[in-house]
Amino acid sequence: MAQHILSAFDRDLESIQAMVVKMGGLVEAQLVDAAHALDTRDEELADSVRKRDKAVDALEEQINEEAARLIALRAPAASDLRVALSVIKIAGNLERVGDYSKNMAKRTKVLLQMPTINGSTGAMRRMAQAVEGMLKDAIDSYIQRDDKLAADVRARDIEIDQMYNALFREFLTYMLEDPRNITACMHLHFIAKNIERMGDLATSIAEQVIYLVTGEIPDDERPKSDSVTLANHPEV
Amino acid sequence: MNDMRLMERVVDDTRIKISAKDVQVWYGDSHAIKDVNIDILDKTVTAFIGPSGCGKSTFLRTLNRMNDTIPICRVEGEILLDGENIYDRKVDPVQLRARVGMVFQKPNPFPKSIYDNVAYGPRIHGLTRNKAELDEVVESALKKAALWKEVKDRLTAPGTGLSGGQQQRLCIARAVATSPEVLLMDEPCSALDPIATAQVEELIDELRENFSVVIVTHSMQQAARVSQKTAFFHMGNLVEYGDTTQIFTKPSDPRTESYITGRIG
Amino acid sequence: MTAEATNIPAPKRRSLYQLDARTRRRNASETRFRAYGVAAIAFGMIALAVLLWSILGQGLSAFTQTRIAMDVTLDAAVLDKSGKRDPVELAKATTLAYGKILDQALVKQATDKGLMPEGLSAKDAAGILSKEAPAQLRRMVLDNPALIGTTVQIEALANGRIDGLLKGRVTMESAKLDSNVSPAQLVLAQNLKDAGLLAKSFNFDFITAPDASEVRPEAAGLGVAILGSLYMMMIVLVLALPIGVAASIYLEEFAAKNWFTDLIEVNIANLAAVPSIVYGILGLAVFINFAGMPQSSPLVGGLVLTLMTLPTIIIATRASLKAVPPSIKDAALGIGASKTQTVFHHVLPLAMPGIMTGTIIGMAHALGETAPLLLIGMVAFVRDYPAAPPEGFLDPAAALPVQVYNFTRRADPAFLERASGAIIVLLVFLALMNVAAILLRRKFERRW
Repeated sequence: MAQHILSAFDRDLESIQAMVVKMGGLVEAQLVDAAHALDTRDEELADSVRKRDKAVDALEEQINEEAARLIALRAPAASDLRVALSVIKIAGNLERVGDYSKNMAKRTKVLLQMPTINGSTGAMRRMAQAVEGMLKDAIDSYIQRDDKLAADVRARDIEIDQMYNALFREFLTYMLEDPRNITACMHLHFIAKNIERMGDLATSIAEQVIYLVTGEIPDDERPKSDSVTLANHPEV
Repeated sequence: MNDMRLMERVVDDTRIKISAKDVQVWYGDSHAIKDVNIDILDKTVTAFIGPSGCGKSTFLRTLNRMNDTIPICRVEGEILLDGENIYDRKVDPVQLRARVGMVFQKPNPFPKSIYDNVAYGPRIHGLTRNKAELDEVVESALKKAALWKEVKDRLTAPGTGLSGGQQQRLCIARAVATSPEVLLMDEPCSALDPIATAQVEELIDELRENFSVVIVTHSMQQAARVSQKTAFFHMGNLVEYGDTTQIFTKPSDPRTESYITGRIG
Repeated sequence: MTAEATNIPAPKRRSLYQLDARTRRRNASETRFRAYGVAAIAFGMIALAVLLWSILGQGLSAFTQTRIAMDVTLDAAVLDKSGKRDPVELAKATTLAYGKILDQALVKQATDKGLMPEGLSAKDAAGILSKEAPAQLRRMVLDNPALIGTTVQIEALANGRIDGLLKGRVTMESAKLDSNVSPAQLVLAQNLKDAGLLAKSFNFDFITAPDASEVRPEAAGLGVAILGSLYMMMIVLVLALPIGVAASIYLEEFAAKNWFTDLIEVNIANLAAVPSIVYGILGLAVFINFAGMPQSSPLVGGLVLTLMTLPTIIIATRASLKAVPPSIKDAALGIGASKTQTVFHHVLPLAMPGIMTGTIIGMAHALGETAPLLLIGMVAFVRDYPAAPPEGFLDPAAALPVQVYNFTRRADPAFLERASGAIIVLLVFLALMNVAAILLRRKFERRW
């Protein structure tokens, strides 16, 4: 789009979006490292993920402050206003992804004290990779203002849900087989659930991108496949 | 990345350009400005905001003694420009105004050519020795005012034939041509449409590199957009003075809060 | 508050296509007001038209004059007795001698061509010539002595009555009652006219010639009056404009606003309202009696008119200075121009069209002013042209409006035509000045 007459406005918008992209990069790395640490049982990497979360949180705060400043001083309208609003939400979503990554790292450290559960790691790795891909694409779609890519990210969430459902059954089986696996499997299950949530957050980012580009939030039901939870625990 | 952004917003508060100390202004019996103390910084845009009749324009005019032309106006206290009291008996207001230029609410180009409008200041102050130097000054002033590209082919056309926004930028160029140190602007955009306003605001932002700019505005949004420092006047008092971001996100005085959120006249 | 609480009935909704009574009344009153306006303007236009019609009707004939063509033999024996063509000697021949030559030439011409009516004596026949005609012939000869001894064809001025005959002012009936002309003379004139020897032609002399005595209306001109008015206008312009403008600028831009300047302001407004004759008395007392300046001189007239014009110029100048937008002054002061620079570089040029219009209107007023000039002796009968300025400013002169007044005071009806003609000349000058005012205004007016 054409530049603003007031170039300081452009600089404000650019800098705040640059911060979001930077935050996206940080969070993506957090997720990759957390998954890698789990996969390779790398305690050091897990520690590093936990420590780096502070930077992500700080960046989110900064983005919120900048967005507030932008709204207060520049009175953005139309697409500028959507930038300001979506930036806040995306930063919030990214911050949550960061938190889940940190939680993964924390549980990884606990899991290191326990015997490995064979068979689940591959599925976990694939699921983490799929979410990484979604997150990366969501951020790319934001950078490129590509609502098609964002819609694609949104559609992919169903695969994550299915992977999670499969893992859920798998962990249930392990726990039924040998009650000694329960602690590890509970941790692993929480990790799987975290990854699934990160997929949801990536989807939410993709929805913000669609809102940013088109001005409308997609209102059709988001594709869901969480049948396990509902089928096995109808009272929830 | 955001370091550049933050750098820009950093105000060099070590360098004070104008310092007002206990300034009082009376119009006849009415006390228009009460006990104003303010330090205006160099290379900074300072905005004066406040409701009508709050004294912000009056105070602006005391900064280059434009109020001298009003016989009933009386000023007490000190206003120091680089440490020198501009209300000192020895100070000639004409000399002062060459250093503290002013741009007015209504674009008021002289009914002369664009060139003559800009060249007028340098001519009367004897800033140039020959035509070539004057041409140079005119060109650079018009460039600083972001008007050069639009008028360079018609410098002999009358300044009054330009559009409102161009006229106001011409007035800014005219003020800039005398190489002032401070530029006072009294609601420079109130007679302009939004696009022209945005152009002038962009210009003000650029002028900050070379001058200390003080702008009076009725539009809080304008103050928010162009300034680094904001002063809120109310009933002749300086209520609050601080960084613009702070004033517009978390003002410390309830009166400022009420004004910028649109709760008092 | 409920609707019942107020006693104001809710307005009834009606169609916009239907005018209600109130609207009709308002429209009617607007129409009436427009009609009043048109009527007022029409009245003014009609008055102007009547004025112009009557003045043009009476005065345009002053720009033509009846002349009699004849061959005159300039007899050297009569005109130059010494035969040396010595100017001093030539000047000794009086108009009487020239008159005789003219009379003889006329009678000879009329007799030769058989135009003499019966019973008309030679002396009476010669009476159709103007008494000014010999003087004109004499001037011609003195200017060119070589003409003596030759026969020249001249067009001699006809008598005012004969002129009147051609302009319809004199008839056979009026001639019977008139001691100055006899019906037989009119017959001769008619015969000469039929023979193509007597005709009207354009009268340059009316504009250039000096005034003439009461018995020679046909020779009276406005030359001295126009010159006198011109000299006075020069004095008014040179004195009133700078003084008036300087005073206005000082009062408007520099003087402190206090009771003293208020007093001056009120007095200037009062001066503008002082009857012009009072200025005449002032001029008589101060310039003539006290300062000892010559009476009837354009200098005194110019000074008096200057005094009279000054308030007008000051008021007009101050008004146009006031009309200069303060934003322009602010702009100049804001970039460090001094007060004087602001005034002379910006305010004065912008006020210039107003100042010039005011000045020209003031001068037009002064040009038409009569009363004060009467008091300082410009009513005197002046036949000699004033010298070129500046000496000429001290020579006696007349003025156009005073000349009108003089003409109307004279008995001969031919002067009525002269007076109207003079009014036309005066009006033309006024119109020219107004056109100049408009043109200057156009030229110097600038947008801001």
